[in-house]
Amino acid sequence: MSTATPSVLRTTLATLLSHYRRHPGQLAMLLLGLWVASALWSGVQAINASARESYDRAESLFSADLDRITRRDGATLTLDDYRDLRRAGLPVSPIIEGELSLSDGESLMLIGIEPLSLPGGAPLAQQNGDADALGNWLIPPYRVRVAPDTLEKARALENLPPFEIAPDLPPATLVTDIAVAARLLDMDRRITRLVIAPERDVELPAAFVRTSPDTLASPGQLADSFHLNLTAMGLLALVVGLFIVHAALGLALEQRLGLLRTLRALGVPGRTLILALGLELLLMGLLGALLGIVSGVILAQLLLPDVAATLDSLYDTTVSNTLNLPWYYWLGGLAITLGGLFSAGASMLWRASRINVLGLGQAQAWRGRLRGQLRVQLLFGGALLAGAGFLWWYLASTAGRQDLALGFTLVALLLLGAALCLPPLLAGLLGLLARYLPRRAALLQWGVADLQLQLPQLSLAMMALLLALSANLGVGSMVGGFRLTFLDWLDQRLLADLYVRPAAEQFEDLESWLNERSEVATLLPARNTEAELIMDDKNAGAVALFGIAPKPILQETWPLLETRNGHEAAWQALTSGAAFINEQLARRQGLGPGDSLQLQGPSGLVTLSVAAVYPDYGNPRGEITLPVSRLATEFKAPSGTLGVVLAPTGDRVQTLSRLQEAMSERFNLAEENPSGGSLIDQQALKQVATEVFERTFAITRALNALTLGVAGLALLTTLLAQAEARRAQLAPLWALGVSRGRLVKLQIGQLVMACLGTALLAIPLGLLLTGALVAVINVAAFGWRLPLHIFPGQIAMTVTLAVVVAILAALIPAWRLRRVPPRQLLQEFAAA
Amino acid sequence: MLQMTGITKTYPTPQGPLKVLDDVDLQLAAGESLALMGESGSGKSTLLHLAAGLDLPDEGSVHLGGQRLSALNETKRAALRRDQLGLVFQQFHLVPSLSVRDNLTLQARFAGREDDDWTRHLLTRLGLDDFAARYPEQLSGGQQQRLAIGRALAPKPRLLLADEPTGNLDEAAAAQVLDLLQALIDESGCALLMVTHSAQVAAPMQRHLVLKRGKLMDRSL
Amino acid sequence: MKRLLSISLLIVALVVMGWQLWPKESTAPTSYAGLGEGDDNFPQAKPGTMLNFPEDHGPHPDFRIEWWYLTGNLVAEDGRRFGVQWTLFRQAMAPPDLQQKTSDETPWASRQLWMAHAALSTPEDHLFSERFARGGVGQAGVKTTPFEAWIDNWSLRALGKDDSAGENDGSGFDHLLVTASGKEFGYRLTLDAEGPLVRHGTQGFSQKSADGQGSMYYSQPFFRVEGEVRVAGEPIAVTGRAWLDREWSSQLLGPTQSGWDWFSLHLDSGAKLMAFRLRGGDESGNENEDGSYLSGSWITPQGNITPLKPEDLNLMPLEYQTVAGREIPTRWRVQVPAHDLDVEVRARHPNQWMGTSFPYWEGMVTVSGSNEGEGYLEMTGYAGE
Repeated sequence: MSTATPSVLRTTLATLLSHYRRHPGQLAMLLLGLWVASALWSGVQAINASARESYDRAESLFSADLDRITRRDGATLTLDDYRDLRRAGLPVSPIIEGELSLSDGESLMLIGIEPLSLPGGAPLAQQNGDADALGNWLIPPYRVRVAPDTLEKARALENLPPFEIAPDLPPATLVTDIAVAARLLDMDRRITRLVIAPERDVELPAAFVRTSPDTLASPGQLADSFHLNLTAMGLLALVVGLFIVHAALGLALEQRLGLLRTLRALGVPGRTLILALGLELLLMGLLGALLGIVSGVILAQLLLPDVAATLDSLYDTTVSNTLNLPWYYWLGGLAITLGGLFSAGASMLWRASRINVLGLGQAQAWRGRLRGQLRVQLLFGGALLAGAGFLWWYLASTAGRQDLALGFTLVALLLLGAALCLPPLLAGLLGLLARYLPRRAALLQWGVADLQLQLPQLSLAMMALLLALSANLGVGSMVGGFRLTFLDWLDQRLLADLYVRPAAEQFEDLESWLNERSEVATLLPARNTEAELIMDDKNAGAVALFGIAPKPILQETWPLLETRNGHEAAWQALTSGAAFINEQLARRQGLGPGDSLQLQGPSGLVTLSVAAVYPDYGNPRGEITLPVSRLATEFKAPSGTLGVVLAPTGDRVQTLSRLQEAMSERFNLAEENPSGGSLIDQQALKQVATEVFERTFAITRALNALTLGVAGLALLTTLLAQAEARRAQLAPLWALGVSRGRLVKLQIGQLVMACLGTALLAIPLGLLLTGALVAVINVAAFGWRLPLHIFPGQIAMTVTLAVVVAILAALIPAWRLRRVPPRQLLQEFAAA
Repeated sequence: MLQMTGITKTYPTPQGPLKVLDDVDLQLAAGESLALMGESGSGKSTLLHLAAGLDLPDEGSVHLGGQRLSALNETKRAALRRDQLGLVFQQFHLVPSLSVRDNLTLQARFAGREDDDWTRHLLTRLGLDDFAARYPEQLSGGQQQRLAIGRALAPKPRLLLADEPTGNLDEAAAAQVLDLLQALIDESGCALLMVTHSAQVAAPMQRHLVLKRGKLMDRSL
Repeated sequence: MKRLLSISLLIVALVVMGWQLWPKESTAPTSYAGLGEGDDNFPQAKPGTMLNFPEDHGPHPDFRIEWWYLTGNLVAEDGRRFGVQWTLFRQAMAPPDLQQKTSDETPWASRQLWMAHAALSTPEDHLFSERFARGGVGQAGVKTTPFEAWIDNWSLRALGKDDSAGENDGSGFDHLLVTASGKEFGYRLTLDAEGPLVRHGTQGFSQKSADGQGSMYYSQPFFRVEGEVRVAGEPIAVTGRAWLDREWSSQLLGPTQSGWDWFSLHLDSGAKLMAFRLRGGDESGNENEDGSYLSGSWITPQGNITPLKPEDLNLMPLEYQTVAGREIPTRWRVQVPAHDLDVEVRARHPNQWMGTSFPYWEGMVTVSGSNEGEGYLEMTGYAGE
């Protein structure tokens, strides 16, 4: 006689599944939980995977970085520069690049290369067919290389050579022969830049500057921070979704405990039963994961353009607008969903394996067990919170670089600890309430006592709500605070009304012309260049140098975070040889006012003392600010921009446009013209900056809102699943003469009470979260710290939101209670 | 069919260990029917659980169909149970999500002995012909208990263990169920061990035993 | 702007790595470096074409392929032997009818591709380098009065007036300076012609296979060399002799010919021998038993030339050595019975492999037997494993 035949397993599984046929609501809730959990998670992961794929394509290119060569005077390079340098024996190669606009306003980067001189091995090194391929590349009709995901856009462009598909090219990029690029971009003899292999150590003529590519901030690392951010949000959504799953599974088990015992009594071995339950879980998981991944991909498709735009504007990384999902994405999504499901289902399986067959029909000793469970939760949650506290202290006490992963660990500890503490705290709150409630309010008293009994079933949904609410609050305050600070800072930094970037040869003419205009109050020249930072006699990489004119109007508004002897002294110091550094550099190098640093410039080593640290939001790089005159003389910075501050005038817009017109006429300046000169209105600049900012947080906010929605859903489904059981508990009250209307109100009241309690706990947690975000995560991810802003309106909003969610979630079960015919209530009363 | 010798079972309680069964011997031959009577808490149900292999005695041995239960592991005991035993409970323990017909054949399917003719016959005999597609909650108490009995008899067990099968029924329904049970037992030739506190229910049984404070004593009517 | 910079860096690097991933859409030519490919739209070298100097020192852009090919055998004061090579190749990527520029083409658009090889053979080692350039931008090219052939900072150019024994045509072709440098080597040598230009074949038309195709081919084999070579930074004064080949064609090899063995030998008698064997080809005609096509020129010390027909010449590999994974003949027997020549030609060392984009063996050889001497040997088209 076999022990557990397949027929036993099959019958057991069918019997277990029949439960959902009678209770499709529970099945729906389970699948819903799985669906939202894996949808949000896999949506975020789809974005990450897609972006990662784009980076890989980009990074595979970075791995052979080339040095850049430009003219020291900032003038445009030409074919003749290339020829002269080549004939002088310098192995340089010309690059032409520019943007080709598409009709929809987007543009593609067109890069023209000269394959014969491009470093990196002889282009003809491949025999036979490749020589012909090179021939095709070099002569009409030429070829243009494009990644598959850019092909469709590229097709919209006219006059392009035939396409060659190159999957390893970054998105939105076309590569072709320099002859084609010069024609399409109307460059004639001009070239964008010369490149040289980094290992070629050659002497450059003095008119040229060589820049190594690692002086550019590595977008990889910064973008990683962004993705870690996204991942954390996705993880939060996953956890919240898994709370629903856990609740649904717990309920399904609770309701089938009797069935499980019966099956055992009828001769189903315990192991077969667990196996069947496991199979059931797997089935649900596959279904849920499938649904989730599919909708995750749809979600990602909706969010990706925003993400791509953000990454583009923040970190200079190009991410494809279309999803490119590698195989491991699908596998990973499935694994995470199933893993999450099994972690949520493990307790169910464990409990099922320990059911007592002899407990057939025995009542559960809820109260005793509940109290024990609450104590354990409080202990555990407290430990996690203590861990979070310690971590925070540790992160605050270690100066300099901070670890983003540790920052997220802190946030996770904080959230998880608080979530675990929630049920015991709620229980305590209810206990207090019960004690001080007037004895005459019998129904109210019953409501509180009943709510205490319901806590174990509700607690998971409440925990999910707490997480969502506090995340909402935390991220909301962070974004809001950032917006305030950022806009303020923009106003301070964008002082001039108009920014002019004249071509190098026009600079002086323009400056004197502007100085003579009556509508101009002050000119604020600025220059940019870079230099090697030397710390402790070691090269600490390149930093950006920014030259400003320390005029009174600038001194008044330029924001400073830290100074040694106050604002005025700092400016005094700047004009007499000291430097300002931005917050990013200060944090990275552990520098502060009074410290000194060394720069390797074109004319030797320069030692500077730090006079002040200034905020520099949105800049990934370390930056040193010096008077513009020093930048020009000591660091040979090319001519930069002229900020034009208008004299006080009645009509700023009109004055501005008049000045712009006059200037354009005189100097042939336009928004963007081939001679390299340009003109930017401060308003436009601010608008662009604000747009970048808004985009950065659009995704964060979207995910946040979704998470809150999921938490609300968790609450609703929990209540729906319990509705029947609840009715059996309410039926005696109805029998005792409480009207159904009052019962409905009682139920809604109970839930509002629970949610309100949760929301009240979410407020301090949300504030803590905000603190962690601005003081730890932001510093690690972006290199700057934000002042902590608290928005009472937002807190009120969050509490209201919690109550609304509670009412919404209670409404459907309550409505169903109202509609239950008295006969059924009677039956349920009898059954109870 | 069933030999229980020297059975002792003790449960821990907050007031100290409680000896529920004390050196109990019980034999049941194939086809025989026996009523086990006694007051609440006298250990009747415990004895039944031990006979079904749902639990093991502290001392003594239980042989079912020639196999010593304590020598079998949990899985083998479960297999023995679905193969040889029928169980009828006071609370029916029907599967609410399965139809009447599926409930009836559930154990037979576990045992791999589903027999359509027998199922049809049982449905008719149980008076559930018209209810086969319904669900347990749509049946009356008597019908549910008849269904529970049918489920136990569907795999044609060699021994039927019934725990207060009429405890939840009114007198008329109880009498009806008992008659049916007796008739079906006679038809299938299976042995019956029934726990009851009612002398009236016990009356038709061939043998009668009474449990009193864990000790078993004969009692003739 | 920032964005532009970083992206283009990526791309540039991409292309660098990307050549390996270059889509292979065309079929591989069957012959070495595509030299056997015919194209009806290119003009063909024809017998009866007269050479004109200095014009013919310059490029012939309509022809598919052309080279300025200098080899030199040098000796240092301490007796160490060195060999130099300086070669500029020109290739037309499209026939003349497609070479007209359209009006919107930029200076970068060119159908001419330039490639150069420079090599220095030391007694133990072989150092080489290659360069590429497109035409039209001035990075590489050849002009005639005064003569200059260049790519990047490598050049072969007239030093001054024609005052040597060569032909005075105003190009300064008789008195040249050649410079090149690569990794760990370089040279700067002056060349003085001690004899006239010699036209191979029929007045400069050199037949290359039995079915008649060939090239325009002349040489200056009488250069006396003086100058300096640099090995790993060490300057070494050298003297010696050099041989300059000029050749252009639109189809150098027959469709089935796979490569050649080319000798340019300075004999101690003052005579020079140019001889080549084009391997493969069809079995018909008066070619060798193995289908090779043999040809050459016997040049007297005064510069008088006797074309050698296939039957006048015998080139026989005696010993093969493994070089760069290929079996390469490094010892030959060379016979020209009509001039009582029967010598063994031997590579000074086998390791004179040009591991360039189109790889081949090119190096200094010694001559012994009926005559003593030295020279250069070029062997192409030997397949690897």
